[in-house]
Amino acid sequence: MDNRRSVWHIIPAGSVIGVGVLIAMSFYAPLHPFLIFVALLIVAYTMFKYLVLLGDAEEKIRALKAPEKQVKVQPEGPSFQEVLRAVPDPVMIVSGHEPDDIAARRVIFANAAAQRIFHIADRGGPLVSAIRVPEVLECVDEALFGGISGSVDFEMSGGARDQFWRAFSAPLPMENKHDMAQRLALLVLRDETDSRRMERMRADFLANASHELRTPLASITGFIETLRGPARDDEKARDKFLSIMGAQADRMGRLIADLLSLSRIEMSEHVPPSGETDLPLAVRDVVDSLTVIAQQKNVKLRIEGPKPGLYPIIGDRDQILQVVQNLVDNALKYAPQNSEVSIEICLDVTLPQAVALSDGKAAKLVLLRPDRNVHDYYARITVRDNGPGIKREFLPRLAERFYRVEGQKSGDRLGTGLGLAIVKHIINRHRGGLVVESQGPVSASDDDILERDGKVTALPQIAPQTFTAFSAYFPQSRAFGTAETPRLVVDAAASLKDAG
Amino acid sequence: MNNHIVKTYGDELDQLSAEVVLMGGLAEAQVADAVDAVARRDVALAQSVVARDHKLDELEKDIERKCIRLIALRQPMAEDLRKTVAAMKLATALERTGDLAKNIAKRAIVISEAEPMTPLTRSIERMGKLVSSRLRDVLDAYKGGKVELAQSVWASDTEVDEHYNALFRELLTYMMGDPRTISACTHLLFMAKNLERIGDYATNMAEHIHFELTGEDYVESRPKANTLSNLE
Repeated sequence: MDNRRSVWHIIPAGSVIGVGVLIAMSFYAPLHPFLIFVALLIVAYTMFKYLVLLGDAEEKIRALKAPEKQVKVQPEGPSFQEVLRAVPDPVMIVSGHEPDDIAARRVIFANAAAQRIFHIADRGGPLVSAIRVPEVLECVDEALFGGISGSVDFEMSGGARDQFWRAFSAPLPMENKHDMAQRLALLVLRDETDSRRMERMRADFLANASHELRTPLASITGFIETLRGPARDDEKARDKFLSIMGAQADRMGRLIADLLSLSRIEMSEHVPPSGETDLPLAVRDVVDSLTVIAQQKNVKLRIEGPKPGLYPIIGDRDQILQVVQNLVDNALKYAPQNSEVSIEICLDVTLPQAVALSDGKAAKLVLLRPDRNVHDYYARITVRDNGPGIKREFLPRLAERFYRVEGQKSGDRLGTGLGLAIVKHIINRHRGGLVVESQGPVSASDDDILERDGKVTALPQIAPQTFTAFSAYFPQSRAFGTAETPRLVVDAAASLKDAG
Repeated sequence: MNNHIVKTYGDELDQLSAEVVLMGGLAEAQVADAVDAVARRDVALAQSVVARDHKLDELEKDIERKCIRLIALRQPMAEDLRKTVAAMKLATALERTGDLAKNIAKRAIVISEAEPMTPLTRSIERMGKLVSSRLRDVLDAYKGGKVELAQSVWASDTEVDEHYNALFRELLTYMMGDPRTISACTHLLFMAKNLERIGDYATNMAEHIHFELTGEDYVESRPKANTLSNLE
């Protein structure tokens, strides 16, 4: 209060002194122009100060009062604010003036969790820039202007990971006696992603398992019936049937194993991994374990990239191994005999580079995109086979569970249709990304027709080299500053041009 | 926050952008709920989306009125003028987004009476998720004043196009396979088109935000997927 009074007293005093000097000088003629100037300057300066203060006097007063208040409330031990700051759930105090004035609804206090999750600055900010979910805003309004406490569930999709929150709001007693219009409310949020996820996953697992296991089960029961009945004594048929039944049982086993591992990954999807893994080493390990299968098909596995053991990336080793394994396995499945599957590792790739569209005719789709501005550098692994390729229109559904591209044969080794889904979920957990690029078989289309001198001529058919390339990228904790500059997947387009 | 001599002027500008963000939140919720209603065949949710649309209309009118008032009374210059104009344009785009979401919800009510077509509605859901995330990024860019974020939204429109084309092909196969599904599939096709339009509005908004923040127009043309050749 003292501060405020002194401010208000100085200003008129300044002008009184200025005017006084002027009057005093008028008795002592001749007037000195410089003195007049000085006196006017004093008057003008004090008037200006006065006007400026008038503008935001209220704010000044509030600011001046704030420290005083804190001193008064201070009990022995930590203050309320310090206690709230330590609460793990986001807690905010919201102030509001009038129901119509949205901008005036400000977060005046946010604890550490709230600041981190909702990107609120230390000194608070407008409520809408923290949360703009209509239900929550309504809930806060009810607490502010209706005096009703309530709770509301809402979903917030943070990047590729959905988050479920529950918001509680309650009115708080008026803090500011001078500013009657100001109202306060408490807003507490709780992350309910875990429990919701559990619920949803159980339902998903049951639905998937019961649906996908039905086919092999039906075939096994069918063969059992036949073996019991007509084929009881037919030795040749029995062997054949038993081997089919064995294959189906294997398939069921694989399916259950995949479903379980998918469930496990989904469960921990919103918890980012904390360990470090060496990507080149993981690739080498996977390639070593797959050479036998590759040799059977006479497919060469080629690794390009830095030496193992030097560049650790953020990740869970087992899961990264699984990503590489599934991708290489997939490539081997579709690679033709006597061809080559290349595995390329690039470090220090920036996000725009990782998802940049390469030119050329190949179709390209980002299946998974990491949150922006979280990590600066990514390590990218690209697995590429010269298989038949996938048509553009099938790309968006690729990582869907149990999705199978129409008319695509995966050879004798039947997959479960979960491989890419597992890859996607693991990469999502690592906050990375997944891009597919593919050149399918090209039929004569508009692109091949040239208009020349008014005549439409068809270009001679060039069979482009078909391929499929999956690029997965994982965040790096830091830039390694490798000597070689990261290359984009533009090579694919370049090789296409060479072929033409 | 604002360093205008007249404090209320700055307040008015802040109020304007706060209202745009509020409207954005509402539009976002409308799109997400409409897509959810399609995926879960939830008629009640669809009806509530339809009923809530008038809020967006009112907000748009309100923002427009405030913008005009601000221009008339304060004669904003440079950054302030861009801010005002961007608010007006975003409000219009968000209102259109809301209309498209309402249309999706209306169609959701109609197709909930037909047989469920899970693979197709799942594709719609996936496309809806993608479009929602673009909308979210655009609004985050607006409220945070992040040019790069707006730019990256602007540059990644092809993904929505790819999804739209894939869905188009899928729907065609479905309709050819079973003519009884034609009416439901047509509704789904319009839904996909609506989602694609919403994605386009997100791109437009990114352009407006870019202009607001930098004062420069985009000169390069937007990357586009080679769409028509794939649609036969």
